[in-house]
Amino acid sequence: MPRVQFEDIIKTYGRVTVLKNLDLEIDDGEFLVLLGPSGCGKTTLLNLLAGLLDVTAGRITIGERDVTDLDPKDRGLAMVFQSYALYPTKTVRGNLKFGLASQKIDGAEVDRRIAWAARMLQIEPLLDRKPAQLSGGQRQRVAIGRALVKKVGLFLFDEPLSNLDAKLRTEMRLEIKKLHDELKSTIVYVTHDQIEAMTMATKIAVMDGGVIQQFGTPDEIYSRPRNLFVAGFIGSPAMNLRAGKITNGGGTVTAALDGVTLDLGRYGFASQPADGQPIVVGLRPEHFGAPGQALADAAGTFSLPVQYTEKTGGDATGYLKFGDGLIAARIDPEQIGRFRQGDTVDVSFPQGKVHVFDAVSGARL
Amino acid sequence: MSVADVSLRRAGEVPVERAPRFPRKPKGISGRSIAIIVFLTICAAFFCVPLYIIITTSFKTMEQVREGAIFSLPAPFTLDAWWSAWDTACSGIRCDGLKVGFWNSMAILFPSLILSIALSSVTGYALALWNVRWANTFLFVLFICAFVPFQIIMIPLIILSSGLKVYGTIWGIAIVHAVLAMPFLTLVFRNYYKGIPQEIMSAAMMDSGSFWRVFVEIILPMSGNILIVVLILQITSIWNDFLLGLTFGGLGTQPMSVVLANVVITTTGEAAYNENMAAALLTAIPPLFIYFVLGKFFVQGITAGAIKG
Amino acid sequence: MALRWSRVSPQLALTPALAITLVAFIGAIAWTIFMSFTRSRRFPEYFFDPAEWSRQYERLFKDDGWAIALKNLLVLGVGSFLAIVFGFILAAMIDREKRGEGFFRTIFLYPLAVSLIVTGVAWRWMFNPSFGLQNALHSIGLTWVNFDWLSRADTAMYGIILATVWQGAGFYMALMLSGLKSINSEIWNAARLDGVSFWRLYIEIIIPMMKFTFLTCAILMSLGVVKAYDIVVAMTNGGPGQATWVPAYFTINAYWVKSNLGYASAAAVIMLAITGLIFLPLVLLTAWRERAREARAT
Ligand SMILES: Nc1ncnc2c1ncn2[C@@H]1O[C@H](COP(=O)(O)OP(=O)(O)O)[C@@H](O)[C@H]1O
Ligand SMILES: [Mg+2]
Repeated sequence: MPRVQFEDIIKTYGRVTVLKNLDLEIDDGEFLVLLGPSGCGKTTLLNLLAGLLDVTAGRITIGERDVTDLDPKDRGLAMVFQSYALYPTKTVRGNLKFGLASQKIDGAEVDRRIAWAARMLQIEPLLDRKPAQLSGGQRQRVAIGRALVKKVGLFLFDEPLSNLDAKLRTEMRLEIKKLHDELKSTIVYVTHDQIEAMTMATKIAVMDGGVIQQFGTPDEIYSRPRNLFVAGFIGSPAMNLRAGKITNGGGTVTAALDGVTLDLGRYGFASQPADGQPIVVGLRPEHFGAPGQALADAAGTFSLPVQYTEKTGGDATGYLKFGDGLIAARIDPEQIGRFRQGDTVDVSFPQGKVHVFDAVSGARL
Repeated sequence: MSVADVSLRRAGEVPVERAPRFPRKPKGISGRSIAIIVFLTICAAFFCVPLYIIITTSFKTMEQVREGAIFSLPAPFTLDAWWSAWDTACSGIRCDGLKVGFWNSMAILFPSLILSIALSSVTGYALALWNVRWANTFLFVLFICAFVPFQIIMIPLIILSSGLKVYGTIWGIAIVHAVLAMPFLTLVFRNYYKGIPQEIMSAAMMDSGSFWRVFVEIILPMSGNILIVVLILQITSIWNDFLLGLTFGGLGTQPMSVVLANVVITTTGEAAYNENMAAALLTAIPPLFIYFVLGKFFVQGITAGAIKG
Repeated sequence: MALRWSRVSPQLALTPALAITLVAFIGAIAWTIFMSFTRSRRFPEYFFDPAEWSRQYERLFKDDGWAIALKNLLVLGVGSFLAIVFGFILAAMIDREKRGEGFFRTIFLYPLAVSLIVTGVAWRWMFNPSFGLQNALHSIGLTWVNFDWLSRADTAMYGIILATVWQGAGFYMALMLSGLKSINSEIWNAARLDGVSFWRLYIEIIIPMMKFTFLTCAILMSLGVVKAYDIVVAMTNGGPGQATWVPAYFTINAYWVKSNLGYASAAAVIMLAITGLIFLPLVLLTAWRERAREARAT
């Protein structure tokens, strides 16, 4: 199974540079998710790998092969498209077969592969239907089937679930994950949906503005966001980000934000911050302690009035007024009924969960 | 939150500009592209040759035309053929050129434009946006009428227009144009007005409720695009019409295309080919001018004919 | 009860169109059909003899001119089909190679802005045996070329077809191009990834996907062929002899030259019937398309 390597990729459309000196290495068997907001260049990167677009500069290797100048069909990969791109004039079987058109494979083998893929995806009863007679989820399976029959080691997915409803999306997510476990192939999967990324990926590359902002496991991305963009993009409700200043005097480092002082004594700074350095502090809503309960290793405690509360089934968030903005804190849904607008609550935040970023560069300190 | 937004905007890591490690030469044009462009260019030549030939011939003298080198450039270059085509070319027994036909065509064009667009836009509006119970039946009948061959209604229309004393007059031709264009144009307008959101109509109905006021104050100002498309479609089709002008035009009221056909077809003795080509060009210039200036609308107009469900 | 103007105004506004439809279309068609069953000659005769109702039609089908006209209609139809094929090829090429799209489209479409009379006059001049294309080709040594099509009965129709294709190919190109552009771009990408060959892609996928566009083109083309008149007048005026007569020409000739109203009416009725035959698939096509759209929506 192949390893994929992008080296110093530049892609421009006319005078607009969409990908800027991008490097990325995907290990064999990895499930890599390219995650980023719409328009950040994910599809472009995927299409470069597929060979549907030509790079402006850079090198792409799959396994040991430099594929930068190869035709899409010769790169040994298969792709599932956002709109499925099934051939509407052919039956499901025809679609699967047509995907093998360029390869010299004898008929019996073709049939074997179709039967195998159909069984795997449970589309056996659909083989003689036309795409127009299938539901969205079924089309999705056929599109995956068309990629499977090629028996390649590298699969590309471009937002494959974005045309499905929420329930089907969850189902297909599991299914694709299962396929990956069974096939042990390398997958590059594009999405703007962080839930998809977090649940499926073994590695995530967070992209913005044509640059990879962070590359790592879902855990790393969540617990150690490398910069403000990643911090703000990952997590729902989003991380609270507040501007503040470092106070570094006499061996104790603290952060001052809008009247609250956070103890950063045990924060793993990469290098000692300067006194008075402007920073942005990130606090995930889900890491706040229960209201009124003091944590043992608290970095600080906020005593704030409730602006409003929000309950989403098994979860609840309180929005607390802080300075000229709001801070979101996860609150036990059993308890949230007690809080009214204007009530003041005390919530403390654990030291180990604070994120600190340089306010100028946005990089993690 | 506002703080966070501001910081997020500059949060992206922007790499320093540096020279690419794996530069690639810009890809030259591929062989297949060249083949396609060559093919398309040859086809374009096929489409251009007739235009080239009529233009060059129209500027030649008859001596040069008789040499038989049809592709040669005019030498000497002369406008004589254009003048005689405009002023003195003979059609049948009359020898006063295409100018009469030109002014006739102009005189036919304006009343029939106004008549046909007024009639079909109002009809299309009523059918699309007002609850008329038999609207669908009527539309289907119009759909059929739009494709009926002219010959099946020609004779009764001749008899009818003679009865109304408009046969052989400019007005007769103009009215027949408006009548024959009505079914198709009504369908075009109706389809366009069908696309107007129902909410706009509902709001307009509450505010005014008057058929004509809604049309004049709400719908017409929203019809700019379709009016231009229909206008261009009608100008070219009326100008290029031959059959109606031939059938309903009398001596001295024939439109330009009929005069052109007479000039070219009814020649005695040796044909003045340079004059014929100049006459053809004179006739073709107005629609060609519209095509090259307002091409986009022209294309929309002709493809509007390709029935949209 | 007060008069509800909101009910009455639209109906009032529709009366001119309704009157025109009833008189100038339905009434006129009925009148012509009736006339085709009478012995009217120069003037309409309203006497209908049931025993002899079909005499105009019997004459018509014994008339050599009519037989030629029908045969030419078929020839012109088959020939004009070339315009559709040609239009598709042009559209496919333009769509594949985006470079110069605007330029080529403008050139391929301009003949459509020109009247058929002008088109006919231009081509007639190029077919001129002594000064036209033939002479030019002979003078550069290609003496075997015969381009004097219009003056020979067996080739004159081909001359008309060539001019028709020249005039109409751009129209079909425009329709086909918009059809091609409506194909999901991911289909092209999928085909590239699958390594599908050019021919298989077009024959097995693209052309079947465009069946509606092709059918629409074919029907519009056929309706146009039945109406063909101007181009014949401008290029050959029916000649040589009756070699390029078509039904439209025949009908008008029967009325103006033969002064036979009943006969012309019978010919016009046959034209209407042919149009109806072509029209039927159009109605079915529209219904089918509607169904396909609904099926896709669900
Ligand atoms: N063919 C093109 N020409 C010009 N700009 C393009 C083209 N395709 C994409 N872009 C631009 O490149 C950027 C990245 O596009 P894309 O890779 O499709 O984003 P994503 O898939 O992440 O939403 C977008 O800003 C888009 O506008
Ligand atoms: Mg995308």
